[in-house]
Amino acid sequence: MRSVQTQQRFELSSVKPFERLAQYRKICLDETRRALSGPVTRREKSPVSGAPLEPFGDVEGLEYLRCPETNSLFLAQLPAWAEWAKLLEAVGRVRQSPQAFHLDLEQSRVENVYLPKLEWIQEALRLQGMASPILLEAASPPSTFGRFLQQNGMFADVVTVDEMKLAHLRETPAALKGRKAQAALLLESLDRIDDPQGLIGGVRANLGGGGLLFVTSLVASGFDMAVLGLRNRYFYPPDRANCFTLRALTALLEHAGFELIEVSTPGVLDVEIVESHLKADPAIPVTGFEKELIASDREIRSAFQAFLQEKGLSSFARLVARKKG
Amino acid sequence: MRCLLLGYGYMGRIRHQVLRQHPQVKEIIVVDPGVDPAALDPAVRLWPKGKEIPWDQADAVLVCTPNNLTAELCIEGLRRCGRVFCEKPPGRNWEEFSGIAQAAQQRPDSILAFGLNHRLHPAIEAAKAMVGAGGLGEVLYVKGTYGKSGGLRYRESWRNKQEISGGGILLDQGIHMLDLFCFFLGPLEVVDAVLVDSFWRCEVEDNAFVLLKSPNGIPAFLHSSATLWKHTFRLEIGCRDGYLIASGLLSKTGSYGREQLVIGRRQFEDEAFALGNPREEIIQFDRDESWEKEVNEFLQAVTEGRPPRYGTLEAAANVMAIIRDVYRLQKPEISERKV
Repeated sequence: MRSVQTQQRFELSSVKPFERLAQYRKICLDETRRALSGPVTRREKSPVSGAPLEPFGDVEGLEYLRCPETNSLFLAQLPAWAEWAKLLEAVGRVRQSPQAFHLDLEQSRVENVYLPKLEWIQEALRLQGMASPILLEAASPPSTFGRFLQQNGMFADVVTVDEMKLAHLRETPAALKGRKAQAALLLESLDRIDDPQGLIGGVRANLGGGGLLFVTSLVASGFDMAVLGLRNRYFYPPDRANCFTLRALTALLEHAGFELIEVSTPGVLDVEIVESHLKADPAIPVTGFEKELIASDREIRSAFQAFLQEKGLSSFARLVARKKG
Repeated sequence: MRCLLLGYGYMGRIRHQVLRQHPQVKEIIVVDPGVDPAALDPAVRLWPKGKEIPWDQADAVLVCTPNNLTAELCIEGLRRCGRVFCEKPPGRNWEEFSGIAQAAQQRPDSILAFGLNHRLHPAIEAAKAMVGAGGLGEVLYVKGTYGKSGGLRYRESWRNKQEISGGGILLDQGIHMLDLFCFFLGPLEVVDAVLVDSFWRCEVEDNAFVLLKSPNGIPAFLHSSATLWKHTFRLEIGCRDGYLIASGLLSKTGSYGREQLVIGRRQFEDEAFALGNPREEIIQFDRDESWEKEVNEFLQAVTEGRPPRYGTLEAAANVMAIIRDVYRLQKPEISERKV
């Protein structure tokens, strides 16, 4: 197994600016409340360990539970899956509208978010000796990354499917035309899906033996999540209905019959995210060490961020796993 | 499959462990008259001292002895069994290696592999995958440093006695780095070399500096050392569109540091803020399967009756030819210094 560190540097303002997050976040929270206003089911057990979930807290009235064995966090209530699917699609459309910050920052997000992801996938395929695979991308429609995948020319075919349908209907996507995919992509899908195990099962069913699964996720074991917890303004449903720890995420994939090839946390923004929160609200309780760190010079903060990357302690996780059998 | 393991020193024990885990290996007979049976794990089947080597009881032979016995046992193994895995180096010198090669040629059905496991280390495999078209482009140069600190018992080791080992640090450890150079560049020609016995005074080189080039002129430079007080493994590969630095080795003691590969992509002023300081990615590895891969491939080749893919006769010939040429160039200098 390998882990990857990166020296890529960019600022929070260039990809998800703290000040401009509020409007999109509010829409997400309102839409989630609306989706939960009808019949709901309370999540009882951890999707990773099966342990009974414990009360943990709430994000503006929306309750979260904690898995006592892995420390992963889960939104307490979920509606019927069709309702959740509608919600994910609705906020997906908001991300591509002027209501959110994403469009204004498109160029910078292409450079700092999408192209590095493409480079990661390309490099991993090369290291695994896999050329021109058929790629299955599971996303909430409309997929923003799909066009980059299509235009890149690195894949024999790119089949984008609705992650919710893949998790719940378990149908072979028609666009696969009876073929198995050789690679699959879940960009933060496990963070928002109502049934993480179902989604991984759906991907597995459509992936050939030895096929590669690429996963990115926000992890609760990462620095900014560990320091800020539910105060983290970047943590809200439905985008973060689940927040696994890195350990839980690896266990989830292994239990589903995948062998881990890469487990990395190449995040670059943990320290800056904590700093932004403290600037906005100096009353957030942090330790003296954390205050010192945030107040320190660029060199120390960079070294600390590099340490987080190297030791698997950043909150941005990325994994590559191979389907066994 | 029945395996005969000749030599139960450091390498013999590593090979034994891998063989024990192999599903097809039903029996391992260890032959090493220097080993005290009372000090051994009872699970190890040690052949009685003084009894003739049981060649007829083996489907495959692994030779893990000191270098002075390697060629003789490999040749006999090829003659009597036909399937031989030879620990590096393949003999003390070119002549002994040629004897092994000749014995293999005389038995066309023979299967012969050499222990050159560094190619199978994860950082090296990843580096190999990154060079060439679609990756970092063609190789411009290769530079390697591989060294250890010796230690208090360095002078006593058979590895540093000319008549037993046949050479110093270049033959013992440098051979791996030379093999990696050939892995990336193909056969190499020696341009120049400086060997010195500067600290240990063992009558063999404790430092070797070797300059090489490929047939199309790509340069490679090796520093092989027994006076690197900090254990070091570092292979730099400069390519047209970037560079690779493999360093550290996943070894039993971990003394070479964590195994990692730095991947840097060339960026000029139009792409990067600071020229000459490109963005790098560092891949850290935590699993070395090189020993298993090497032995498993040899046993698979034996089972299928085909030539092995790793540690081939050609690979061994390439490194032994380099070492022959370096020693021819430099042996007198070491002797003179000693006087």
